[in-house]
Amino acid sequence: MAQSTLDGPTAARSTVKARKRVWPTLEAYLYLAPTLIGLLIFVFIPIFTSFQLSLNRIAPFGNQTRFVGLDNYVTLLTSADYWDTVRITFLFVLGTVPTGIALAVALAILLSYPVGRMAWFYRALIFVPVIISSAVTGVLFRWLYHPVVGYLSYWMVQLGIFENMQQAPNWLGSKEWALVAVIIATAWRQLGFNVIIALAGVQNIDESFYDAAKVDGAGILQRIRHITLPLLSPTLFFLLVINVIYSFQAFGEINILTQGGPGRATTTMVYSIFETAFVGTPQRGLASAQAYILAVMVISMSFINFATASRRVHYQ
Amino acid sequence: MKSKLSVLSLFLIVVLLVAACAPAAAPAPAAPEAPAAAATEPAAEEAAPAAAAGDKTTLEFWHAMGGNLGETVQELVDRFNASQDQIFVNATFQGSYDDTYNALLASFESGGTPNIVQNFDLSSQTMIDTGKLVPAWQLMEADGYDPETFIPAVRGYYSDENGMVSMAFNSSTPLLYYNADMFEAAGVTPPQGSLSFSEFKAMCDELKAANVAPYCFTFGQVGWEFEQMLANSGGLFFNENNGRTGRPTEVQFNNEKGVEVFEFLTSLVTEGYSPNLNNTWTDTDSTFLTQQAAIEFDSTSDVSLIQNAEFTVGTAFIPHADSSERNGVALGGAALWLLDSGDEALNRAAWEFIKFMAAPEQQKDWHMATGYFPVRADLMEDPELQTFWAENPNFATAIEQLTTTNTTLADGSTNYAVLGGRAGPFPAIRRIIVATYSRVLNDGLTPQEALDEAAEKANAELANYNAFFE
Repeated sequence: MAQSTLDGPTAARSTVKARKRVWPTLEAYLYLAPTLIGLLIFVFIPIFTSFQLSLNRIAPFGNQTRFVGLDNYVTLLTSADYWDTVRITFLFVLGTVPTGIALAVALAILLSYPVGRMAWFYRALIFVPVIISSAVTGVLFRWLYHPVVGYLSYWMVQLGIFENMQQAPNWLGSKEWALVAVIIATAWRQLGFNVIIALAGVQNIDESFYDAAKVDGAGILQRIRHITLPLLSPTLFFLLVINVIYSFQAFGEINILTQGGPGRATTTMVYSIFETAFVGTPQRGLASAQAYILAVMVISMSFINFATASRRVHYQ
Repeated sequence: MKSKLSVLSLFLIVVLLVAACAPAAAPAPAAPEAPAAAATEPAAEEAAPAAAAGDKTTLEFWHAMGGNLGETVQELVDRFNASQDQIFVNATFQGSYDDTYNALLASFESGGTPNIVQNFDLSSQTMIDTGKLVPAWQLMEADGYDPETFIPAVRGYYSDENGMVSMAFNSSTPLLYYNADMFEAAGVTPPQGSLSFSEFKAMCDELKAANVAPYCFTFGQVGWEFEQMLANSGGLFFNENNGRTGRPTEVQFNNEKGVEVFEFLTSLVTEGYSPNLNNTWTDTDSTFLTQQAAIEFDSTSDVSLIQNAEFTVGTAFIPHADSSERNGVALGGAALWLLDSGDEALNRAAWEFIKFMAAPEQQKDWHMATGYFPVRADLMEDPELQTFWAENPNFATAIEQLTTTNTTLADGSTNYAVLGGRAGPFPAIRRIIVATYSRVLNDGLTPQEALDEAAEKANAELANYNAFFE
């Protein structure tokens, strides 16, 4: 090092500069390498393979493919059944996301009040569904929804809402209720996560704002409307983005509760991909095309979220 | 500039890491082996069984039997492993029939294909089309094994023009299970033989009048009851004689017989005889076992399970259309398929195993533990089974239902209806039928309209599949 300074100060300075520039980048990538390689193998390479697959019809036993160009996409976009899954997916997202976030914020505000020694208990109570796997949630709700021996209808009858089990809604068997039933189960499991995030946001708000508002004579609803919600907006925005993506990808509950039925009433885009690729007679090319359409849709939804909702976010 | 550099460096790192990993991986297993072999002379006794296991031929066997059925399969596999010291069979549970079938299809691309796989009835055509089978008839010929060992319905179901393509193992037929206590309480005669659809409903009316249960009948909309009642009514599912004399190009389930069957099944729900259980098997059992329905449609494979109910259980044949006589049922369940490993010795070992599984001793125990009926003709006269059936008549119903099936028509030709359909995309078409129930029950289509719509979709599946063979 010392010698090189003697040889030519200007040249040396530039190499050192260059090395200073290259090495940190290289070093950073070295640290990142384990993750990047994992991502490469499990995410990036499959993204390309799956695009290639989407241009082919593939025999169920895999060893025979026919190149069909964009035919899979054409088939999907001209199929009434496929547009129906798109419609159902949007209904599902609309059903889970706003209700989920609204409930979470309400619970978070309630939980942020000092509830004494039992605070940890209530928080745990609400968080428990998150750590339960979606399969278990599915089985649990299946028992609640059972049309003949289900608890939900049973209690509705006991409470006098319906005369007998036959008159209570057939949660999973009727087209009108099946989507609602699946939305309830999914929102229930996601609720705990949303509450924890919202609670952190609520607790982050400086007490002095409330004190000032109280001095000005603001009531509790006014305080929530003018202080809590605006200051919570970064958290709400985060929840919105995460929940939209999560709902687009919901699978476990649907698979256990309805398997996309009755008919196709709960076949969302993700479930349709699974069904096409892995159930019955698999058509992996068609499924890959569906995956691409879904990806484009989720990405554009996220862009729309950022473009519209983020303007309303108020950072402290 | 910066981004180019980072891409380059990322590439370098990846190359370096891959290069670093690859050579390291190869010598790794070899290296410790040599010193271990040299150093473990005192521990030779311990090493001996391990070495013996290494000499054995290991076979991978995938099956789709969960719960008590899975335990019984493992018992039989253990028995095989203990019976000789040349072959070790490693049995793995792969989930449902659909899961196992799909795991197998995926394994053709990703590797790790098993030597033997248990695949369900509907997958037969695809299995043949994979071109990766060692057909059972080849091994039977080589071994001098007589295919007449199997009862004709079983042999017929799993045969192509050359002979049996797979080894029968767990065969079943659908049954009606009924709550005998309820029939007694209502003073109604339990079903004898196969009832016609209107006789069935009349019986339901009597039960309903006696108010013994909220529902008369319970069934999940799973596709099987449509296929089986169609066969029982003499209707064909596919053209080309149910896909038995050629690759089917069209479905035929939307003809008169199919409509009559579908009309019956959907009207059971719309007229309040059955709950609308959507596309499930499990809710069917829970409805019947909690005494919310007097009769249930299920496979004979659940006899031993359902018999444990806290009430007396009886079994009967499934019903048939008013417009036809009873024809009988098509075979259900699954068979053992031998996949070509490319190694003659492995294939022979696999043949030894599936032969063992179809041997009288195993078939007898399998039947008595589960309810899947024995697939061998010689067991029909077995004295031990005769006593067993006398004591447990519910186990005999399925066998009787199958052996009394009319395999030939009045004019002496083959009754393709009861041979069961065969088509590449049959699993997908079954799912179309499952979804079709809702078109009637929720969307108010007539059975004819719903089946026509289903037929259109099913024909598209057939065309898409057949295009690979043009």
